[in-house]
Amino acid sequence: MEEARLPKVFTNGTLPATIAEQLATITTGYTPDSELELQEPSYYDYPVLKAPVWRWEIIWYFFFGGLAAGCYVIASITALFGSSEDRPVARAGYYLSLLSVLPCPILLIKDLGKPDRFLHMLRIFKVKSPMSMGTWGLLSFSLFSGVTAVIQAARDGILGRWWGSRLLAALPQRFLAIPGSALGVFLGGYTGVLLTATSIPLWSRSKVLGAIFISSAFSTSSALISLVLRLTRTPTQALHKLERLEWVALLVEMVGLFSFLRGTGRAARPLVGTGPTEHGRTFWSFVAGTGLILPWLLQTLTLLTGRSAKRRSGRGIVISLLVLMGGYFLRRTMIEAGHTSSADARTTLWNAKR
Amino acid sequence: MAIEATKRANMRRASLRSIVSLLIGSKEPPMASQAAMGFFTDTSICIGCKACEIACKQWNQLPASEPLWTGSSYDNTGQLSATTWRHVQFIERIERPDIPLLQPVPALMSGSQSTALPFFNSDRWLMQSDVCKHCANAPCLEACPTGSIIRTEFDTVYVQQDICNGCGYCVVACPFGVIARDQYGDRKAHKCTLCYDRLKDGFEPACAKACPTDSIQFGEVEQLKAHARERLGMLHERGVKEAQLYGVDDHILDGGLNSFFLLLDQPEVYNLPQNPQRPSNNVIPASLWTIVAAAVMGLLGIVIFKK
Repeated sequence: MEEARLPKVFTNGTLPATIAEQLATITTGYTPDSELELQEPSYYDYPVLKAPVWRWEIIWYFFFGGLAAGCYVIASITALFGSSEDRPVARAGYYLSLLSVLPCPILLIKDLGKPDRFLHMLRIFKVKSPMSMGTWGLLSFSLFSGVTAVIQAARDGILGRWWGSRLLAALPQRFLAIPGSALGVFLGGYTGVLLTATSIPLWSRSKVLGAIFISSAFSTSSALISLVLRLTRTPTQALHKLERLEWVALLVEMVGLFSFLRGTGRAARPLVGTGPTEHGRTFWSFVAGTGLILPWLLQTLTLLTGRSAKRRSGRGIVISLLVLMGGYFLRRTMIEAGHTSSADARTTLWNAKR
Repeated sequence: MAIEATKRANMRRASLRSIVSLLIGSKEPPMASQAAMGFFTDTSICIGCKACEIACKQWNQLPASEPLWTGSSYDNTGQLSATTWRHVQFIERIERPDIPLLQPVPALMSGSQSTALPFFNSDRWLMQSDVCKHCANAPCLEACPTGSIIRTEFDTVYVQQDICNGCGYCVVACPFGVIARDQYGDRKAHKCTLCYDRLKDGFEPACAKACPTDSIQFGEVEQLKAHARERLGMLHERGVKEAQLYGVDDHILDGGLNSFFLLLDQPEVYNLPQNPQRPSNNVIPASLWTIVAAAVMGLLGIVIFKK
């Protein structure tokens, strides 16, 4: 009975469906029973909800927004609490934060139905609407990220040696770091809160999507900073600390994701299941498997065994790339599975029975 | 007519107030209070004529949808959309609940069911004219980041087309799948306006006006709710035990609906969610979890870098 329902196909190099299906059942705590579900009433299975209008622009915005936020916060932590040898982390973090925040407004404006009306977002300040707050948050964060990066550039001598550059270099970067980091945490997490404050069962049932997104912002950002430091061969002892932070962030992300799946139960099927419209195979292969658990295990190995610097660097680059890929696929499968979730009338009606 | 009278009374009050404010020299007074207006859709007398769908399209100059054959019922409209603001559902209740759908034919033939006369069996059509619920706490309005979606003086929920920038947040906020972005037209959000323009001139909405059986009733929400309860009692008395109200009490979305229904089966049969959660209630718990995660990582980050 149980086996007959499981599709037995191996497809395009991802996990076999049976393994993904078993993982889905274990993590969500829900075994799909198609016969029982078919007895639930609905109106000819027409969707109860409208499908989201958000597509690739939003996925990339979530990814870059997370990087911009995480890089700024990590750079600020090292600038405020780190030693002098941690300087390269702060420098790289502030530059990468500005670079990552630049595509964000373009992606968001392109996503609008009426891009020429993007300024209408600034008509009001609405605490109840995460999108309104997000607009203001992104705007103010960009300001902090920009100014901080310009001060950093002036201190690094990139802006030349004229009086304006000297004045900028003298500005107190540390004072900007505290409000800037608060805004960074907001930017990295509000996207998850925004998805939670909808009627889509997958996004709204558990309330931890914001926690997952902020931890993913931390993990992808530390991966990006260490990747850039390694590729530019910047000699620094701080890489070791960055690796530990990344390890912590990946752990928090795993705990968050597991509680998300548990808390969402049946409504998480579009994300983890293996049906034709479900995204389980991508999720288990690229988000949970090679994007989260594998780099975390590799990182654990690196932290436990003191290996030679050269081999360590090679492995570090692989870990960084895996974490960045996992962060992208997390957002992608989450948005795409939200489309599937909105189309499932029975689960939507089940979700509203509380 | 009732509206006409209240409107005139309101105008008189308003003019009196403006004279007073002129004498005292205060600011312009707020708009005169106006009773909340809404729909009561009584599905027990809906005959599925779709006059409401057509009246709505005609009055609001909405384009016809692409011809589509759903193959599942007489309903080829399918669902509410950016250009369809009334939608008549046809729910076919012909099979008996104790007969599985895929039973061999001889078993069906031998049963006594085949001899039952149509008048005395429970086979029936359920019809419902679906529409925007004009929620007392409207999730679309709460989500809207531009202030395009407003509550009018009639307590209805209205999308200001000159403000909407098509961000799409209201689309996923609505728990009933009502509001939609016009993907092929102007790419802005659209839904039932409760004929705001007609209300301003003291007319009832086009669908209610066109409804030949008074299945769609328009009026003051409080009066309509009283009437709905009365009608429910009457149906229960006559033995229609399955009749129930949807959205009349304050249960749904913490405040009830200004456009509510009398149903002849459980809400799910009509694709109506029994008790949808209010999306804005999720903002605080989701934010708290985010802060907890950020605090854990931030503090550990400080510990890691401080050494």
